[in-house]
Amino acid sequence: MQEKNKVTGTPVSRIDGILKVTGKAAYATDYPVKNIAYAVLFKSTIAAGTIRSLDTGPAEKSPGVLAVITHKNAPKLKIDGGIRGGALLQSPKIEFHGQHIGLVVAETYEQARHAARLVKVEYIKSEPRVDFEKLSKEAVLPKDKEKADAKRGDAKAALQNAEFKVEAVYGTPIEHHHPLEPHSTIAEWQGENVVLYNSSQIVNGAQMAAAATLNIKPENVRIVSPYIGGGFGSKGGQWANLVLTAVAAKVVNRPVKLALTRQQMVNSVGLRQKNHQKVSLAATKDGKLTALAHETTTHCAIENEFVEPCGDCSKIMYEVPNSLITYRVVPMNLILPTYTRGPGKSTGSFALESAMDELAYQLKMDPIEFRLKNEPTRDPSNGKPWSSRTTVQCLQEGAKAFGWEKRKAEPRQNQQGNFLIGYGVACGTYPAHQRPSSARVSLNRKGNAITARVELAAADLGTGTHTILAQTAADALGLPLNQITVKLGDSDLPPAAGAVGSVGASSYANAVHDACVKLTDELIAKSGKQFFVRPTAAQLMVSENVADYQTRVDAKPPANADQYSSHSFNANFAEVRVDIATGMVRVTRFLAVTGAGKILNPKTARSQIIGGNVWGIGMALTEESVVDPRWGNFVTRSFGDYHVPANLDIGAMEAIFIREDDRASNALGVKGIGEVGIVGVAAAVANAVFNATGKRVRELPITPDKLL
Amino acid sequence: MRPFKFTTVSDISSATNSVAGKPNARFLAGGTNLLDLMKEDVERPEELIDITRLNLTQIKPLTDGANEIGISIGALGKNTDAANHPLIRQHYPLLAQAILAGASGQIRNMATNGGNLLQRTRCPYFYDVAMPCNKREPGEQPGCGAREGINRMHAIFGWSEKCVAVHPSDMAVALAALDAVIKVRSASGPERIIALADFHRLPEDRPEIDTNLRPGELITAIELPKNRFAEKSYYLKVRDRSSYAFALISVAAALELDGNRIVQARIALGGVAHKPWRALKAEQLLVGQEATEANFKRAAEAEMADAKPLEHNAFKVELGKRSMVRALQVALTGNRS
Ligand SMILES: Cc1cc2nc3c(=O)[nH]c(=O)nc-3n(C[C@H](O)[C@H](O)[C@H](O)COP(=O)(O)OP(=O)(O)OC[C@H]3O[C@@H](n4cnc5c(N)ncnc54)[C@H](O)[C@@H]3O)c2cc1C
Ligand code: SF4
Repeated sequence: MQEKNKVTGTPVSRIDGILKVTGKAAYATDYPVKNIAYAVLFKSTIAAGTIRSLDTGPAEKSPGVLAVITHKNAPKLKIDGGIRGGALLQSPKIEFHGQHIGLVVAETYEQARHAARLVKVEYIKSEPRVDFEKLSKEAVLPKDKEKADAKRGDAKAALQNAEFKVEAVYGTPIEHHHPLEPHSTIAEWQGENVVLYNSSQIVNGAQMAAAATLNIKPENVRIVSPYIGGGFGSKGGQWANLVLTAVAAKVVNRPVKLALTRQQMVNSVGLRQKNHQKVSLAATKDGKLTALAHETTTHCAIENEFVEPCGDCSKIMYEVPNSLITYRVVPMNLILPTYTRGPGKSTGSFALESAMDELAYQLKMDPIEFRLKNEPTRDPSNGKPWSSRTTVQCLQEGAKAFGWEKRKAEPRQNQQGNFLIGYGVACGTYPAHQRPSSARVSLNRKGNAITARVELAAADLGTGTHTILAQTAADALGLPLNQITVKLGDSDLPPAAGAVGSVGASSYANAVHDACVKLTDELIAKSGKQFFVRPTAAQLMVSENVADYQTRVDAKPPANADQYSSHSFNANFAEVRVDIATGMVRVTRFLAVTGAGKILNPKTARSQIIGGNVWGIGMALTEESVVDPRWGNFVTRSFGDYHVPANLDIGAMEAIFIREDDRASNALGVKGIGEVGIVGVAAAVANAVFNATGKRVRELPITPDKLL
Repeated sequence: MRPFKFTTVSDISSATNSVAGKPNARFLAGGTNLLDLMKEDVERPEELIDITRLNLTQIKPLTDGANEIGISIGALGKNTDAANHPLIRQHYPLLAQAILAGASGQIRNMATNGGNLLQRTRCPYFYDVAMPCNKREPGEQPGCGAREGINRMHAIFGWSEKCVAVHPSDMAVALAALDAVIKVRSASGPERIIALADFHRLPEDRPEIDTNLRPGELITAIELPKNRFAEKSYYLKVRDRSSYAFALISVAAALELDGNRIVQARIALGGVAHKPWRALKAEQLLVGQEATEANFKRAAEAEMADAKPLEHNAFKVELGKRSMVRALQVALTGNRS
């Protein structure tokens, strides 16, 4: 992947690594804003109804309290200004358990938290809609046009006549993003302007939503968000906590800090919705798919809709003449679901790729061979050519590297002492898009020492964005890496796409690259000279005796990008060891082989992929947010109950990248790896569990009780 | 957190005197449970007495003058130190295994041996003050959120309509198998010795009372009698993730053999009741029998026959059987793989 003399494509360590491990990287609430007051939210203890009365007297009289803000005294906000999930204290209506109903601002955090508990609330309760199992029978068509029934051929008829078929329902539970840094904000007003130090995956989006909701102009809002302690989608859209901090700061006329507690995270910032996915597959005796139906039932909020696109992988993964993709939703009294790493694809691939494994077993065919037989030459959903597709290489190289030939075709054939060993495979995919982003590059020369500054309002989720952009700029300008400073996460900088939907790397790197090329072009033009060999910007600064030079581009995706179907692809291989007596599963080895275009930095890329894999293993084995079907409260409110995988759950992890030069998707050929790493993982693990035990678990997570 | 008074003490009598007659005062040891509960507003003490400076951290052999008859473990020693102590590793490996199966390295570094026994249930309804819980709000008797709620983690033995919670400690399960006794002191009266079997209680009509410790009593030490189980014992913990999770089921199993005949058996279960559950029925069935898988199975089945599962935890009955058999097998053979 490395080109000669280039730093791009080499595994350099994060340039902000030292800052982070020494605690010097300032996250949102680390900013040393003076005279700060602390806000603590309080929440509804019912899931549906209205607030009858609120007694804030004792809280207001509690020591240190500066203000108690509820729907009774909150300033008027625009409820459809782009803040997700409501809960803006604009009405007494309760739509989910744990909805914000007010906040206390006090001199200290402890005073605020204590006073928040002194508020007495009476409700008029109504019957909450929170039992998904019951309500899913009344699911309706989503409002979102993209979720309309998508038919090609006649899947139902083909299924009816098929000799080999699988029809099964796959269940995935509610999951939470639970980034280690909970959502947190400092708001500081300066006259008409407000600065919001806030962890945001979409800096400009946060600015727009905050401005619209607060009824002020975007230029009066500045978002500062240089470092993010993880987000996984929950910091993409912005939630009420952002603007309520600004409201609190206005009310007490002081800067205010508001950080959610872990317990508050479960009903403040979205979730991955619970899905019932019915997948039906039919194939001929020699393993050609003839029908694929993927029918998803899920839930959304009472007022707003968000539906994970669970059928997306099914649309494009396999050549199949008859296809049906549908969605049905049930509005429920739960917080609005939202984008969650690999939205739709991670959960959808669990259903599709489990069903593929089931059908391969029925056909007595190796699951890799079965997939290869159904490899499409074009995107079957729209007939477009692939910008590139690596599924075949991923499967073949992965099989070799993993030792797939050691897998037993029949389950329960590989026992070692108290354990059954199994192998599983599953494929995944995620779209690759470049989004418009601007970037500014400035060069400065002191003698022969040249430094560069790269600036854009991009977001670094902790994934290494600062680093890959420094690498890109270093090569494009002809400078060593340590002469590049990268400044991100500030809405005063040139606007950029969000770090969402795996668009960050391609959008930002192309913008920075374009800006560097443009800067070099401009210096060449300025010199008035002709060059046989194109000089670098660094050389030009010296030869043309320039002290400072700056330029900016507004980069856009290639004009013909949408003539192609552009995606990253992967194949996942899992080896599991299942304790025969107790049903405890360990993933002893995991391999992800990924084709994601140009890999800018194999080290940060590997971290991204194995990070996604780890979450996928969590999805397969441990993670589940449980709602009490009577009252709509979450009973899994801490890391003691919500089981993200621990170190011991994760065995040997390996990531291999397929070399690709996909210039059809964007100029640099960078396709994005943020999400694809989780897609297909849960299915690979579940398929390995079947191979080990002969038990097909269709309801995640695969906890010990399901294997007894 | 509610405001509270904070006092530091440096000897046992000032510790016991500072809480005497104050129902709303609590000792603060490692704080890993108490402070969490205070932040969640579940525990609302008005006064905390910091006992971490008490000289009660040693682990030492107990003698009757001439012979070693057991071991004494200081109540304020850290879980990590107990698990790594050579005397415990050598003579009570079951206890070391149980401690290391609990929590995480960081928590065990803070957690004390006495605090571990007194940690409160992890029932999520207990932890969430918006939920009804008889254990948390005894006076108001609001009902038990878990009885007909999400009770997958809850009891299959000894529960009452008032409360179906389980005791979360791993250490206590091993201590139950090893016939530990707890030494306690109070401001008034002499030292009291409570057998671990009688230390924790079943919920009955008073789920708010976890143990038979009386108000104002301070745990000073845990004592273990000498035994012949060190060679053949094993702590098995089955959980939803490989570490840092509470037990679905845990089994402390210990055997003393004569040839292959079982002279004595000790089995205690965790994750099944409001207290560490001694599997006395199974133990009695095993004594005098050959140590075979078939006999282990028979004993496990007999013990589990009395289980009364709730809506979401019926799996614990089968899992409990299998886990007992496995733990006894490993205790017998030493082979974990
Ligand atoms: C995330 C997490 C996971 C955990 N996982 C496990 C697990 O898997 N298995 C497990 O067994 N445990 C687990 N624990 C619990 C942990 O073991 C206990 O929190 C710890 O042992 C409590 O000890 P402490 O010294 O911190 O007690 P504290 O929190 O200080 O005190 C607990 C209670 O005991 C009282 N107390 C303390 N010492 C004395 C004394 N000497 N005399 C009288 N009263 C006293 C206090 O007043 C208080 O009421 C976990 C804890 C956490 C936070
Ligand atoms: S089981 Fe016990 S602790 Fe849990 S809610 Fe019921 S009474 Fe409370």
